[in-house]
Amino acid sequence: MIELNAVSGAFALLSSDINAWLYLLPGLVIGLVFGAMPGISITMAMAFALPATLYMDFLPAIIFLTAIYTGAGFGGSVPAVLMGIPGTSSAVATTFDGYPMARKGEHNQALGVALASSVFGCLVSYLLLFFLIAPVSSVVLKLGPLEMFAVAVWGMLLLGSLAGRHMSRGLLAGVFGVLLGTIGMNTAGFIRGTMGVPWLLDGIPQIPAMMGLLAASQLIGLINTTYLIEDEGSRKISFSKILSGLKTAFVYPTIILRGSVIGVVIGAIPGVGSSISNLLSYSETKRNAPDGDTFGQGNPKGVIAAESANSSSEGGAMATMLALGIPGGGATAILLAAFAMHNIVGGPSFIANNKDIVYALIFSNFAQAILLLFVGLGFVYVASYVVRVPLRFLIPSVLVVSTFGAYAIEGSASGPITLWIFSVLGWAMVRYGYPVAAAVVGLLLGSLLEGNLLRTNQISGGDFISYGLERPWALLIFALMIGSIIMQALSKRKKLKQAAENSESRSASEAS
Amino acid sequence: MNSKFSRRNVLKVAGGGVAMAALGMPSILRAQGSFPDRPINIVVPFDTGGYNDRLARAFAPFLQEALGQPLTIINRGGAGALLGHTFFLQQPDDGYTILCTSAAPYIPLNMLTQNAEFTLEDFYMVNLPSQDYTLLATSADSDIQSIDDVITRLKEDPTSLSVGLQPASADLVNFSILCEANDIDFEATRMVTYDGGGPARNATAGGVVDIGLVGGEGFLPLAEQIRPLLTFDSRQRDNWEGAIVTDVLGAETDFVVGSQRGWGLHGSMQESNPEAFQILVQAIETASKNPAAIEALTTQQLATDWYGPEESNQMLARTAAVMEQYIDLLQGQ
Repeated sequence: MIELNAVSGAFALLSSDINAWLYLLPGLVIGLVFGAMPGISITMAMAFALPATLYMDFLPAIIFLTAIYTGAGFGGSVPAVLMGIPGTSSAVATTFDGYPMARKGEHNQALGVALASSVFGCLVSYLLLFFLIAPVSSVVLKLGPLEMFAVAVWGMLLLGSLAGRHMSRGLLAGVFGVLLGTIGMNTAGFIRGTMGVPWLLDGIPQIPAMMGLLAASQLIGLINTTYLIEDEGSRKISFSKILSGLKTAFVYPTIILRGSVIGVVIGAIPGVGSSISNLLSYSETKRNAPDGDTFGQGNPKGVIAAESANSSSEGGAMATMLALGIPGGGATAILLAAFAMHNIVGGPSFIANNKDIVYALIFSNFAQAILLLFVGLGFVYVASYVVRVPLRFLIPSVLVVSTFGAYAIEGSASGPITLWIFSVLGWAMVRYGYPVAAAVVGLLLGSLLEGNLLRTNQISGGDFISYGLERPWALLIFALMIGSIIMQALSKRKKLKQAAENSESRSASEAS
Repeated sequence: MNSKFSRRNVLKVAGGGVAMAALGMPSILRAQGSFPDRPINIVVPFDTGGYNDRLARAFAPFLQEALGQPLTIINRGGAGALLGHTFFLQQPDDGYTILCTSAAPYIPLNMLTQNAEFTLEDFYMVNLPSQDYTLLATSADSDIQSIDDVITRLKEDPTSLSVGLQPASADLVNFSILCEANDIDFEATRMVTYDGGGPARNATAGGVVDIGLVGGEGFLPLAEQIRPLLTFDSRQRDNWEGAIVTDVLGAETDFVVGSQRGWGLHGSMQESNPEAFQILVQAIETASKNPAAIEALTTQQLATDWYGPEESNQMLARTAAVMEQYIDLLQGQ
């Protein structure tokens, strides 16, 4: 599958042109800074840089843009950990454990863990891309609505983990989120729940809503606290602790690998991508972890799972883009536009004729991942000073920046308005003990669930069962899902039994 | 209170000042010289990366050269271009905001299905160089070989093939015309609706749906994965094999062209700012005929043909009229 000629050609390309390397560092830094600003998405950072690439050669231009892609992918995790604000929708699951870690005073470790998992996930994804670009792309187009529906249901399983103390409230919040996610014009062209507001025709703006629910509501709840981390001694910025966080990530290679594989596969599916993959990876990791109960309270494994999956989605999305010439999401659409600006059309013929360029891209992304480790360390070190800012300054500034971000992403007042409405809603949900995260997951998955269920109905003519039997991949996904649930139930029972035996033997020994 | 200024007098003075400023403004602008004397905004009612966005960005340098002022591209995506079109019309018709859009089908669709508060006359199309068309295709490894296969199978059993398309689209209208002409029960067919051209094309190429009807230009990158069966135009387009609709359904058949994309102005500009109007129309013509522009756009698979305002507005009106006939279909009833 790997052609050595092309590989050596790729090395020749990369070593002949110093320009190809010059843009790596600025690309990563631009990506990190933009990604870390709440509301500025990966796509916007890349769109911002796109005009500049017109004056570069093709390879440096694409390397510059993919460096921004990589940088922004991690940048979004920094506010997710430090403030509970997912800078991009792909960092939602990072907030679940990263933010509690930060509040406990483990912000250094959390950022270290996130960085290491991102770097590793990115490396793995490009490694997989290197080997699998052809097979992945042939499968991707064959995925039908039933498979996508299965993926969405898989994501919904996360609700069980997010419910907190009251399962019923968790499910209610999740259903509420799904209903919110179905607002707007559905896939069959029917308009629901927009109340005549044209800005709602495409649904509730997801990123402002998410920022409002997760972040602003948290911040409003903190209004009586003086610092993000209450214990003064824990507020230190420690390089050695960041490094120890880096190491922590590699204690759990299975979690990173699972996250990376989920990230690549989900990232390769057009229209799904990193905003779903981090949720799936988090939920799978939690279900399989022996200490699953401590997830959500600052367990580094949760951060590892989320970060390895969202950064590895980049490789998956690139596979689809290079192999098929179709964009999986906004970021790859910008890359394709950059291709077009240099008069290159992606797709099967591009790969067949330009293997050396494809490999050069892959190798330069290896370099990006490794460079991200160092640039990211510096960035994280500076960014973590946020924990030393008194909350009476931090909360208003973050709310203002989020408002600007929400405006930037929607280009109209609909962004800030959504942010404010959902901040109040989020605060009320927290106040009355409903898990906000469950509503966010519902919101993110709602349209995916509904659209694909509807299409499954259309395509099967209502006969779900006989259609389902023709779709082995969907059956496989459902089987994996059910298997995973049964495994969890079994291990839980075993644990309970053991606990019971332990207490029995203890009481027996006490009696004797 | 012993102030020298009573509230009433302050208000009077302030009001007068505002009125003076309002009266003075146009003359100040006029004094600065002829149109255009500041940068011009191009509104693209779609997100970055789509056809209109690419067209606007590729064409801007040449239009800029012809106008002598820099151009700024503003993406206002959402709600099937309704938000962008509304935003454009809300800007003053002074020529400092121009539009690059898929005039058809989106302007008629906004009007017919979304209760838009504008009419066709609010827009003036200077040139619509890109004329997309519906392509009916199947996956390259499908057992369907020709459009006759499709018609035969659907005639026998309208549920035998699943059909991927977008709701409220030209493609949907074209499919209903094909069904009607061949006595196929349109209502009974298994139509699978997708949120955009991209997903519908992917489903077609991957064999998720048996056949798909989508804008043909977008199929070009997927050319190796599909088998083109029928082009809804009176001539062959983009070297696609397969049949042409006027050969299959007869030269007199109705069909809707796909997206008609290009450059628009405020309809009211002709009266309110005739000078600026003329300058813009001429600049777009000059840039469209610029050999460097034609070369640059052609290599990016973007259209630059010059049809001119008269023909462009007629083409749009014709499409709008056909779409209006199928209003029930487009409204999803």
